[in-house]
Amino acid sequence: MNIIRGDQYNIGHICTRQQCDLGRGDKVAFRWVSSHQERTNYTFSDLDRESNRFANALQLLGFDAGDILFTFLPKTPEQFFSFLGALKFQVICGTLFSNFGDDALLDRLGDAKAKGIVTKKSLLKKITRIKDQLPSLEYIIVTDIEEHQSQDILSYPALVRQASDDFTAPITAPVTPSVLHYTSGSTGKPKGVLHVHHSILHQSRTTSEVLNLTTSDIFWCTADQGWVTGTSYGIIGPWSLGVTQVHYGGGYDAKLWFDLLQNEAVTIWYSAPTALRMLMREDSELYKGYDLGTLRHIFSVGEPLNPEVISWSRATIGKDIYDTWFQTETGGIMITNRPGLEIRPGSMGTPLNGIEPEIIADDGKILGNNQQGNLCLKTGWSSMFVTYLNNESAYNSKIKNGYYYTGDTAVRDDDGFYWFKGRSDDVINTAGHLISPFEVESVLLEIEEIAESGVIGAPDELLYEKVVAFVYLHKQFTWSKELEVKVRLHVSNRASSIATPQEIIIVDSVPKNKSGKIMRRVLKARYLGQDTGDISTLEE
Amino acid sequence: MELQDKLNEIFCVVFDDDDIKITPEVTANDVDGWDSLSHVNLIVAIESNFNIRFSQKELLTFKNVGDLLNSIRSKITA
Repeated sequence: MNIIRGDQYNIGHICTRQQCDLGRGDKVAFRWVSSHQERTNYTFSDLDRESNRFANALQLLGFDAGDILFTFLPKTPEQFFSFLGALKFQVICGTLFSNFGDDALLDRLGDAKAKGIVTKKSLLKKITRIKDQLPSLEYIIVTDIEEHQSQDILSYPALVRQASDDFTAPITAPVTPSVLHYTSGSTGKPKGVLHVHHSILHQSRTTSEVLNLTTSDIFWCTADQGWVTGTSYGIIGPWSLGVTQVHYGGGYDAKLWFDLLQNEAVTIWYSAPTALRMLMREDSELYKGYDLGTLRHIFSVGEPLNPEVISWSRATIGKDIYDTWFQTETGGIMITNRPGLEIRPGSMGTPLNGIEPEIIADDGKILGNNQQGNLCLKTGWSSMFVTYLNNESAYNSKIKNGYYYTGDTAVRDDDGFYWFKGRSDDVINTAGHLISPFEVESVLLEIEEIAESGVIGAPDELLYEKVVAFVYLHKQFTWSKELEVKVRLHVSNRASSIATPQEIIIVDSVPKNKSGKIMRRVLKARYLGQDTGDISTLEE
Repeated sequence: MELQDKLNEIFCVVFDDDDIKITPEVTANDVDGWDSLSHVNLIVAIESNFNIRFSQKELLTFKNVGDLLNSIRSKITA
């Protein structure tokens, strides 16, 4: 299906105005279910009008195409209006997970030189605390204050009240920058993964070909818009095809989620393994009596889906779960299980047509079947990121001989199915979120009692990996419950709740090599009771 | 200080928001950032502040702030 009309690649336009032009103006674009289960329907006309108003508001504030705006919001309707409105105006829109703390915000807003941010009153304090260190940040737009507070703290409702309903997105070339997501590496600061409007081709295609969505479906994607799944498949893919979505503003609650699936007549559901494992742990009685007859397919993304979850779903819901694989950098699904393809539980599935993965050894040699190596993708798919913002060298280090190195390791079996084996770096995947051990270690060192820290990911039945911190205290301090609280809250409020160590282990020293690099490999081996391997470079 | 006021202070610190006003009816859906991971921080902070311990079984029964208050009250008066 060709979603491009003329030369217009603008994501904001295609997801709103174009749907109205196709006769879907009165169709529900999303049913908003608040955390208190109040329901509001927004049609594609509403989505078009509200995003137009926001685009006009940005124009009135003096934004230009190419400026960067972030959203820092829990799931709210304004998240969608501001995201699409910014894109309509060719403003680059970054989305931030609403549980990020001060340091995480500072790293991202500072690197991007963001001109504005849309947030909520309850999150405002985090931004005002770091505002002095962000000279480029001109506007903080708050969704739940009625009047402007100052020249730079502005009321979202007041801005859009004054703005026109009409806005025509400029014809947008495919290479125009669009969406910015920051992702963590094992060293250094988070990197800004920049996409372009061209990505909509692949996001739309996979929404149709993999998720099987049609205009008669009702889709629920549980992902937060702070992450790539939340934008690629919670906004762009479905709305580019005129699909009705359900968006729920509350958190995990097994009964409530099943109420939603049943009562909203959801036909396609996209969630994450951690959430599915939490559902699996509930009393099976809870699920009796639900009629999920409208539900056609369930998909999962974020971390490997263990076969037990698929078995549970078959027994409890009577449905398979199709595991999908992609990354922030890929912008859309690359390798996947999908309806019509035999499910091999635990496998990533097979590549989509046109996606060319290879397993490549560290020396660059392309490996054959059943050999473990770096999972790489031949460059050139339409939703591929174009750079790491302000970090061309990091981008270049990921692209070698025409292949993007994903950082994952995998094997391909004789039937062409891929099997995830792990990461080639120290990045921690906890509940589907990538955490940089370096970032957590840095935040831990801000605490006066801590002299050294080393952070690893360890296997966890629920989260896939948990954050484990090894901490060496300055000699004058001793570990206590109070200090544990201090450490937890410091990491949570400076980095994010997901970065908070699940386990904190007090050690006499943190192993480092002779150049001072933390040997996380040794920490992990010790934690798992495995052989620590070659430790000849260990600092004495 | 009333128990609820003391618990309110803990909420403000844990969720980094001075404007939180808890009542017995408040649930995780009423407080921005109260997810399953920050919930662990909340419980650890409460245990430390009141010098009490919750069992895993107790934790599963807490549906709102009222349940938390009742449990804390029963432990500190025991």
